[in-house]
Amino acid sequence: MTSHSPQLFSIVPSSTEPIYRQLVEQVRRLVAGGQLAPGDALPSVREVALQLAVNPMTVSKAYGLLELESVLERRRGVGMLVADRPRKRSGEGDINARLALLRPTLERAAREARELELDPDTVLSLFKNLLKESP
Amino acid sequence: MTVLPIQMRGVARRFDSKTVLDGLDWEVGPGQVIGLLGRNGAGKSTLMECLLGLREIDGGSIALFGESPDALSDATRARIGYVPQKSDLFDWMTPLQMLDYFKALYPRWNDAKVEALLGRWGIDVAMRNRPIRRLSGGEQQRLSIIRALAHDPDLLVLDEPVSALDPAGRRDFLTELIDGVIERGTTVVFSTHILTDLERVALDVAFLKGGRIVLEGDLDDLLDGAAGQVVNGVHQPKSLEDLFIEVTR
Repeated sequence: MTSHSPQLFSIVPSSTEPIYRQLVEQVRRLVAGGQLAPGDALPSVREVALQLAVNPMTVSKAYGLLELESVLERRRGVGMLVADRPRKRSGEGDINARLALLRPTLERAAREARELELDPDTVLSLFKNLLKESP
Repeated sequence: MTVLPIQMRGVARRFDSKTVLDGLDWEVGPGQVIGLLGRNGAGKSTLMECLLGLREIDGGSIALFGESPDALSDATRARIGYVPQKSDLFDWMTPLQMLDYFKALYPRWNDAKVEALLGRWGIDVAMRNRPIRRLSGGEQQRLSIIRALAHDPDLLVLDEPVSALDPAGRRDFLTELIDGVIERGTTVVFSTHILTDLERVALDVAFLKGGRIVLEGDLDDLLDGAAGQVVNGVHQPKSLEDLFIEVTR
C-alpha cells in the first residue's frame, strides 16, 4: 500500500469549476490512470486542506462524493483508501470511462482548432506527434 | 436550541441623506464560514460596525448570541473577535503594550497562540517594542489579526483582513484560519475583494446591495449555477468573479 502526499492535488480558484469538483475530477483521473492504485491511502483531509489552503469541509465533501461513487473507501483507523475494484485495464468499459475523462479537453482543442481554421489532418498529425513524445 | 451568533432584522442605517442599510435581514448560524461580498461603498463595513455595536442603527434590531450589541454582557463580548478594515486605535502603544492591554480585558487569552503567531508572522523583538504607528501597513494588519484571534473567539468578524498583506502573508493568514479557527468550529464572517482567497475558505456567501442581502447561499451551489440561467435544463456554471459582477451590478 502506498501513502500519497497532499502534493498530489492542485487547484485553481476562480474557475467555473468549484474547488470540490476539481478535487473529485483529479482523483478520478489519477485512479483511471493508475497513479492511484487500489488500496493506496489518500492524504488526510487536514493535510490536503493545509497544503491547498482550502476549507477542510471542501476536502471532506470531495472525499465523501468519491466514497459514494465507490472510487474511494473509508477504512476505520486508516482513513481514505482507493477502493478495490476488479479493473481490467484493457477492458472495454474501462477504456470508455477513461475516454470520457479525456473528452472535455479534446472538445476544447477541437473548438480552438476550428477557430484557427486548421484542417483536421494537420491537427491530428500534431496530436499523434504529441502522443509519441515522452512527458 | 442553539442561539444564533448573528441575527439582524429590518436593520436601517442612514448617513445624512444616504441610506446605507435599508431594512436588512440577515442570520448567521453557528460554525458558518461566510463571505460578505459587495461593491465598494455597498456598506459592508457599516454592516459589520452596526453588528458589533460600534455604530448606532436607525431602525430594526440586532442580536449577537441573543444579546443586543449595545448592551453586551462581558461573557458574550469575550466570545467575539473583530479585525477592522483600518485601525488607528492604540497606535501610540507598542505591540507588546497593546496585547497586554487586551489580555487584561479577556478572561480567555491564549498566550501560547499569540507568541506562536508573532513568531511565525515575523513580528520580531525589535518590532514588538516599537510604536504600532511606525510599523508597516501589513505588519499592523497582522498584529490586528493576532489580537482578534488571541482569545479564541466563537465569532470572528473580519473586514477586509488581508488588504495590506502580500501573497505570502495572505497564505499564512488562510492557513491560520483553516487550522486554528475553522477547525474549532468558529463562526466566521469576512469581507474581501480577493475572491480566490474567499473561495478557498468560505462555504457560504452573502451579497450586499442596495442596503440589503440580495443573494445568499452555499458557494458551491451558486458556482454550479443554482442562481443562474438554465439552458436546456442544465444550470450554467460560472466563476465567482462573474457571479459577483452579475449580482452586484
